[in-house]
Amino acid sequence: MSERRVVITGMGTINPLGHNVQDTWKALLAGKLAPSKNELFDASTFPTTFAAQVKGFDLSEHLSPASAQKHTHAGRHCKFALAAAQQAWEQSHLGDWAQLDRGRLGVYLGSGEGSLDFDKFVSLLIDAWEDGQVDTKKWPDLAFERMELYREIEQESNMVVAHLAGEFGACGPAYNVLTACAASTQAIGEAAMQVRHGLVDTVITGGAHSMVHPFGVTGFNRLTALSTRNDDAASASRPFDLTRDGFVIGEGASVLILEEYEHAKARGAEILAEIVGYGASADAFRITDQDPDGDGAATSMRAALADADIQPGQVDYISAHGTGTKQNDQVETRAMKAVFGQDASKAPPVSSAKSMLGHLIAAAGATELITCVLALRDQTLPPTANLHTPDPDCDLDYVPNEARQANVKICMSNSFGFGGQNNTIIITN
Amino acid sequence: MTERRVAITGLGVVAPIGVGLDETWQALLAGKQAVSKIDLFDPGHFPCKIAGQLQNFSARKFVPKNYRKAVKVMARDIEIAVAAADLAFLDSGIVTKAAGDEPTVDSKRLGCNIGAGLICADLNELGQAVNTAVGDDGNFDYKLWGKTGIENLTPLWLLKYLPNMLSCHTTIIHGAQGPSNCITCGDVSAHLSLGESCLYIKRRAADVVVTGAAESKLNPMGLLRQGLLGRLCTTGNDNPAQAVRPFDIDHAGSAIGEGGGLVIIEDMGRAEARGARIYAEVAGFGAACDPAGIDVEQPSAGNLALAVKSALTSAGIGPGDVDMIFTHGTGSPGEDIAEAAQWRKVFGDAAATIPAVAITGAIGSLFAGSGGVQLALAAKALAEQVVPPTVNFSAPAAGCEMNFAAQPRQTELKYVVAAGYTVGGQSGACLLKRCQA
Repeated sequence: MSERRVVITGMGTINPLGHNVQDTWKALLAGKLAPSKNELFDASTFPTTFAAQVKGFDLSEHLSPASAQKHTHAGRHCKFALAAAQQAWEQSHLGDWAQLDRGRLGVYLGSGEGSLDFDKFVSLLIDAWEDGQVDTKKWPDLAFERMELYREIEQESNMVVAHLAGEFGACGPAYNVLTACAASTQAIGEAAMQVRHGLVDTVITGGAHSMVHPFGVTGFNRLTALSTRNDDAASASRPFDLTRDGFVIGEGASVLILEEYEHAKARGAEILAEIVGYGASADAFRITDQDPDGDGAATSMRAALADADIQPGQVDYISAHGTGTKQNDQVETRAMKAVFGQDASKAPPVSSAKSMLGHLIAAAGATELITCVLALRDQTLPPTANLHTPDPDCDLDYVPNEARQANVKICMSNSFGFGGQNNTIIITN
Repeated sequence: MTERRVAITGLGVVAPIGVGLDETWQALLAGKQAVSKIDLFDPGHFPCKIAGQLQNFSARKFVPKNYRKAVKVMARDIEIAVAAADLAFLDSGIVTKAAGDEPTVDSKRLGCNIGAGLICADLNELGQAVNTAVGDDGNFDYKLWGKTGIENLTPLWLLKYLPNMLSCHTTIIHGAQGPSNCITCGDVSAHLSLGESCLYIKRRAADVVVTGAAESKLNPMGLLRQGLLGRLCTTGNDNPAQAVRPFDIDHAGSAIGEGGGLVIIEDMGRAEARGARIYAEVAGFGAACDPAGIDVEQPSAGNLALAVKSALTSAGIGPGDVDMIFTHGTGSPGEDIAEAAQWRKVFGDAAATIPAVAITGAIGSLFAGSGGVQLALAAKALAEQVVPPTVNFSAPAAGCEMNFAAQPRQTELKYVVAAGYTVGGQSGACLLKRCQA
């Protein structure tokens, strides 16, 4: 049996720069910057007062009224995912195909947890607080009165998968993974492996997340992972720039339809790209720091190259993890040089969409993979914005500030999760 | 290139009836009932005051000395996983970095795929901080919180509660640098993790993988959420040991619990070459979902039947070849009935005669952890050729006519199917096959 090939036949996205693929791509090529003052809650006294937010989003503009009704209870990130999935589904025309076997249609997402019902949650901690602890007589009395079933259950990270399966009638394997910032790259990579190994013929895959809520920002602020460039929010995401001071927290969802190649061909689907390589690794170093040598990240890239059976020199473009933290960008550069050679002039151009989009956490990798598909389609590389002061430790070609025409046949997309889980996907046209 | 086969060569269990495989297995056979009144905190006014709690569990002794400081940043779920991983490696005979000796596995070929649930922040820790940010009106004050409140949380606070930290700590302790994932699909996280980990081995991305799942919902938020779903037994507070009765005529709801199970899987050729004890072969795997799963108020067993059928198909066997059914069995009446109907969809009338097991009567519902414990005990049962008892079972409830027994049964077992479902509609099934020495 010859190996089953995996192709992409649909894409959709809701993110801080656009509510569909086309608008997002235009914004990225124009170097538009998403971060702005946090309007989702009063963060004015937080160490970080801004975020990359999805604005003006309304699910009813994306789904039929009957469909939107089914998902009224869904969390914010889940609604992003439903809209993104609808776009991908429409583009794939799978729904129009009478022979679609829904038992062979899977869902594999890297979605984050739903956000807490914050105001109610903290009101319980305050109102049931006695003698320095939660009073478990008062707390349940108030909690069963105030908290709502759906608002609580939708926080389980498998619920986005449930909503997507419900919307598109998927009965096949359904997964969610949550490997922090690497989640959706990992989801797409493993989904591709399921197609290749025959577990499914088609998969709805990608990721969704919103950590732009008080405890999300608190958590990352306490870790000092976020940029605090409060007086210059728009330009705060500065991957590979010497003046970078952390990542910019963002939110959104991106969804892709993966399909077995013969399956796609048989129904005359438009093929957007092929996934030819997937690699995964763990740093196994520290929960707080990346392996400074970049060994884990390099292992992931090498594994993807070996899986695709291509040489490093054949890669035309790398979509970086590129978060804009001091550590990541330095380690990532080191890892790329370990794989592509110490001579910086010989490495492929690399850029970070996070410089414009912010960091969509679990949804980041899927969104960035979409930019790779578009780079292949338009033979154009999106820039790394806000890159004005070179860092001697980051000396690759990061496509600074201006989009660029280039011959692009093979793209690599990297995501590295907090805690050391690394993932790499390679695509071709 | 021939397709690789996957062997289970190590089992690590942390369960309310026992910590460690032998202790847990003996307790299971003896019919030990570990659901008891909650003493980890005062269950106060919660309608359900009982749970399957770990007894005298401390993660510290399962963590190498030079890593013990890190236990401070481990939520209970993470502690359970780290302990189960240590037990599983020890049981497998594979030496990792944790032992301090020369590892007997190449770190780059060692994967780690541990499923997790939604980890709950410690409410007392969080309350301490939140109550420093109360405004004059008695409500939470965002400005006060941003200015000073947040500093009351330890800098690494967030890292205690990220689900991927079960895997991450385990990779660090054991030096596992191969593929690493964290599946968060509720109660089927362990099944899906095992299925996916087999693919790591088959596609030669790893030679050995530690996989399974762990979880603790033993906290107020866990009791609240399961209570809101109406899944918990509220009539058993005076008789907790007998409260959880999966598929039994008197089943009246579930109880939350804490625990987990991890297994070491290995390329069969590698396992044979090193003379490893092989508990079972992972002969098949299937997963499926029910699009109706978004209606969480409707008791459902997801699409368990399709998952089981896929597992049988992937192994090239039929329903008639299965010798034992390891059920999910929450003890919640609507779910038990829905689950039994799913098993009948696969086995027809034979669903009433194939020996079946549910372990929740003894330990409660461990959510992601239940699949881990179930898979480890299914592998042990195969190796021992024993059908473990279903604690608290006397006679089947209407619609739940399956072959459970309150006593262990010695019988010839070749194929065992272990399956589960979760709120949301996802289902998973693993088919284990006996490996004879």
